[in-house]
Amino acid sequence: MTKDGGIKIDVWINEERLEKLKAAGLAEIAREKFAGMMVLEIACTEELKDALLRKYPSAKYDSSTTHSIELIPREAKDRIFSTALKLHSTGPEVISQFLQEKND
Amino acid sequence: MNNLGHNYKPVLEHIMRGEVEKKLHGLQVLPVRREIAHEVISLAYGFFTPVSGFMGRDEVDTTLSRMELPDGTLWSIPIVLDVKREEVKRLGLKPGDSVLLEYLGAPLATLDIDEFFSYDLGKMAEMTYGTRDVKHPGVKRTMEYSGDFVAGRINLVNEPVFNEPFSEFWKTPLQHREAFAMKNWKNVVAHQTRNVPHTGHESLMKQAWFAANEDMPVDEIHTGVLVNAIIGEKRTGDYIDEAILLGQDALRKGGYFKDNVHMVTFTLWDMRYAGPREAIFHAILRTNLGCTHHMFGRDHAGVGNFYKPYDAQDMLKAERDKLRIKPVFLRENWYCPVCNEVTNEALCSHESQSQNFSGTLIRSILTDGVKPTKRVMRPEVFDVVMSSAEKYGFGSPFVTNEYLKSRQPVFNLKKMEVFAS
Repeated sequence: MTKDGGIKIDVWINEERLEKLKAAGLAEIAREKFAGMMVLEIACTEELKDALLRKYPSAKYDSSTTHSIELIPREAKDRIFSTALKLHSTGPEVISQFLQEKND
Repeated sequence: MNNLGHNYKPVLEHIMRGEVEKKLHGLQVLPVRREIAHEVISLAYGFFTPVSGFMGRDEVDTTLSRMELPDGTLWSIPIVLDVKREEVKRLGLKPGDSVLLEYLGAPLATLDIDEFFSYDLGKMAEMTYGTRDVKHPGVKRTMEYSGDFVAGRINLVNEPVFNEPFSEFWKTPLQHREAFAMKNWKNVVAHQTRNVPHTGHESLMKQAWFAANEDMPVDEIHTGVLVNAIIGEKRTGDYIDEAILLGQDALRKGGYFKDNVHMVTFTLWDMRYAGPREAIFHAILRTNLGCTHHMFGRDHAGVGNFYKPYDAQDMLKAERDKLRIKPVFLRENWYCPVCNEVTNEALCSHESQSQNFSGTLIRSILTDGVKPTKRVMRPEVFDVVMSSAEKYGFGSPFVTNEYLKSRQPVFNLKKMEVFAS
């Protein structure tokens, strides 16, 4: 879950992604999550979660432990990361915009 | 060589070698599905010693009610072959007959029929798993049996030829014992796994090595870790078999374990997720491989919330006197940012700051294709897992529908001209 307990998507940050975040002045919004692994937590609403699960049938929502949407394909994660960079945000508008682009 | 297995029973192979085709001519043919074929192979090589065939009613009864075979040997999981009544009738099979079991369009084994019987599947499920809830995968599997069973001894007539990379890791129980002797191992601790190793697993194995070494001097090393992966039924989201074996092996190849303390093999078995009863079964299985110790962590062989985290350890403690293998009980490892290391919850007091190795979290990292830090997963392991994904997993280190449908088989069987015309 996000810091405020909501649904989220974890976008893991490798060196390449970290450089892009730094270039966009967003490095501080990535946080260390586990043993040095950095993550960008993208917030998601209930409606957006359902839309994502419909779009990616292989994805799963972990309702019991992490409250995160998992197994979203890697290409989609790449695009979610790009959208977050473009919008300078980790709010639900990232997923909303991502889904709109996907639908275009 | 001492080849005594569970309950001091000899580990025997039940294999017909040489010119077998002539002996098989005229036998009726009973096709079997993958899970049965895997158990036939395990029975034939002695993995399930002293059980050497599919169980009859008495054996199932005592396994369920007293958790033992009729002779009093500890045993926890029914090993059964269900059949369709109409097929038995069509083939005219009766006790005393031999039938040829066929798999992948080739002969696999003969079954010398002792008995046909029916069994209450709900009772079988409830007594094995402690529940009749079909959300439990073991219960679901049991309830899918036909309800009619055939019992009898197995003789393998066609030894499996394992494909790469499985061929590198396949050892029969007797071959395990030879391999341990070659390495001069006196003590061997088994690590049961269906996972690609992260540093939490690696650290548990290292902790278990010290426990298994007991009071032996360390000027010369005579203790090893056997990573014995379970290869069997796969579900979407599981790690692909190839990544498990190659990932575990990468720990030694990368130097995180010395050559003389680490070995990776596998057993053909479908996890039942029977928690405590499956833990007993795993202890028996690894006794038959020649192991002296066995790691048991939190929620061993459990699923969902069907068992309490230490139910399996409690049952092992209760049955300790009937086992020839010493359980090494372990609590969970976590990463502690204060200690700055992977450590164990039994030792570290920084619980509020601990970071747990959740399977979900590791899967999430790998799905993104992001290389984990060395504190999470060794780079050699990550590299081999991702190359396995490309080579065997249709781009994914996790089982997908495509993998289930089109994966390369674990083994092949030689074609024989024996089927009755």
